[in-house]
Amino acid sequence: MNKKYNLEKGNLGENIARRYLENKGYIIVDQNYRNKYGEIDLIAKEKNNDSLVFIEVKTRIGEQFGIPEDAINFKKKDKLIKNAQAYISWNKKAKNFNSYRIDAVCIVLDEGKQIKRIDHYENITG
Amino acid sequence: MFIKVLSATNLGLETIGVDVEINIANRGLPGFEIVGLPGKTVDESRERVRTAIINSQIEFPARRIIVNLAPADLPKQGSFYDLPIAIGILASVLEFKIPENSLFFGELSLDGTVRHTKGALLLSLFAREKGIKNIFVPKFSANEAAIIKGVNVYPIQSLSQLLGYCLGRVNIEPAQYQEREVGRIEAEFDMREILGQEQSKRAIEIAAAGGHNLFMVGSPGSGKTMLARALPGILPKLEEEESLEVTKIYSASGNIGPDGSLITVCPFRAPHHSISLVGLVGGGSRPLPGEISLAHRGVLFLDEFTEFPRSVIESLRQPMEDGRLTIARSMARITYPSRFILIASANPCPCGYLYHPKKACICNQREVNKYRKKISGPILDRIDLHVEVPIVDAKDFSEDEESAPLGRGESSSQIRERIIKTRDIQRNRFSQDEIFTNAEMKNTQIKKYCLLSGEVKRLLVQAVMNFHLSARSYFKMIKISRTIADLEGSEQITAAHLAEALQYRPKNRES
Repeated sequence: MNKKYNLEKGNLGENIARRYLENKGYIIVDQNYRNKYGEIDLIAKEKNNDSLVFIEVKTRIGEQFGIPEDAINFKKKDKLIKNAQAYISWNKKAKNFNSYRIDAVCIVLDEGKQIKRIDHYENITG
Repeated sequence: MFIKVLSATNLGLETIGVDVEINIANRGLPGFEIVGLPGKTVDESRERVRTAIINSQIEFPARRIIVNLAPADLPKQGSFYDLPIAIGILASVLEFKIPENSLFFGELSLDGTVRHTKGALLLSLFAREKGIKNIFVPKFSANEAAIIKGVNVYPIQSLSQLLGYCLGRVNIEPAQYQEREVGRIEAEFDMREILGQEQSKRAIEIAAAGGHNLFMVGSPGSGKTMLARALPGILPKLEEEESLEVTKIYSASGNIGPDGSLITVCPFRAPHHSISLVGLVGGGSRPLPGEISLAHRGVLFLDEFTEFPRSVIESLRQPMEDGRLTIARSMARITYPSRFILIASANPCPCGYLYHPKKACICNQREVNKYRKKISGPILDRIDLHVEVPIVDAKDFSEDEESAPLGRGESSSQIRERIIKTRDIQRNRFSQDEIFTNAEMKNTQIKKYCLLSGEVKRLLVQAVMNFHLSARSYFKMIKISRTIADLEGSEQITAAHLAEALQYRPKNRES
């Protein structure tokens, strides 16, 4: 596998997640936010809620090498928290929110890049 | 869904109940965590449980699993939480009821089979004490657990078998206890194979009969080691009560192999003199029993006594007196019993030929003194019987070899008969006391059971004055006389009995 392939897969997954969340009633504020610590896949807010949600999207093709949930370990969560904190302190869009939350969306695709399952986990660091 | 499974942990010889609480949440990122102060082995249990469940052809739930081991402040160690955790997860996922009033205990293999796990006996004792009816233990530990009557011991072969039982598909019969001849130590020599050495043989017999300690001094090749190695052959079997005490220690320390049963043979431990202090008396952050406790109700043979480090020898003082030892460490304070017969042997000097009738000793006085100082007075004073093992004359030896190839004198089994009789006398005598042998008598018991006639008393007082015996030795002499009288089946301690006992006093021969 190469980097280009992974990037493609990631973008595909992020777009699937974006559509999925929009259907669920989230408003996407930012996609692929980058700073010097790393990146946040999606940043969204809930329609009837005052909270800003940072979303990590994990995509896997097939589950024989482990489920995407396994990839979100302690280290990854720690990184996500630091990134979110950086976003909150540096970005104007993050003002005027009462609460913040980190979510994960795990997507499993089959060989033909069709969605096998999609799971949304709320507040993974809580 | 929340599930609670009962288990227990062993701390020394005590058992503490542990509740294994399992919660599988429907929300949250999938994960598997164990809380409640798990040690390394308990933490690794996650991987064993996960793999064992998958290899039992059951899907491992991709949900948030939290396992809590309560009480949460007690540090948990050991691999036996695998089975309760696994069955708890399965019960939660497949929604069946865990058998009530049951304890679970056992280490899982990655393929889903259950391995032999140490401490099963203590667990069934605990279950009986707490009124828990059923215990589920590994198949190979079931016989050990079934020693205790009144508890249903279910032998578990694999996780899928236990699952089948819980779902009502498979029937498991409770294990019935079967005695097996395991751990039997055959004596290397028969007593009659040992040539000459009548006095030493007699001393060994007295030691075995009354549970007395014995110190043998002699030149190299005189047969000290052989005498000690012949001892297991004349020791009686353990009484039921003793047997359980010994088996408990062996179970707790993982010295009972798969499919083990009650230990009925007197333990015989002969550690090498390179042993450490902790190895001898026990220790570790969660203290394990040392050789002295593994020799409980049996024999601790310390060959080349003078070669042991001084600190190691001195550490024997309290356990020899009290018959138990409390090991205090930061994590736990544990008392192990250590009522053993100490058989020690040493040379009289570094070259070994002091007092030898033919060979010259090449040690100077300073070396001899230094050698003797390795064993302190307090230790020697605690040893009841002291014998000098003379060398065997080569002439007798070759003659004996021709005329009696199997040796002369009594065989081990004949001597053992006599010792069993003597032990019976002692047991009847001490039926109201919590001791088994004469050597264990306290001063009040000596006064009660060892009445001395005026003549015997006079002889004893005279001996104490002439030989400068200590107060402890005074009582030891009475105890030895009691054993000698018992060997003869005599109710009264006579002057002859005492006179023989005095032969075994600590001697301070000047060179």
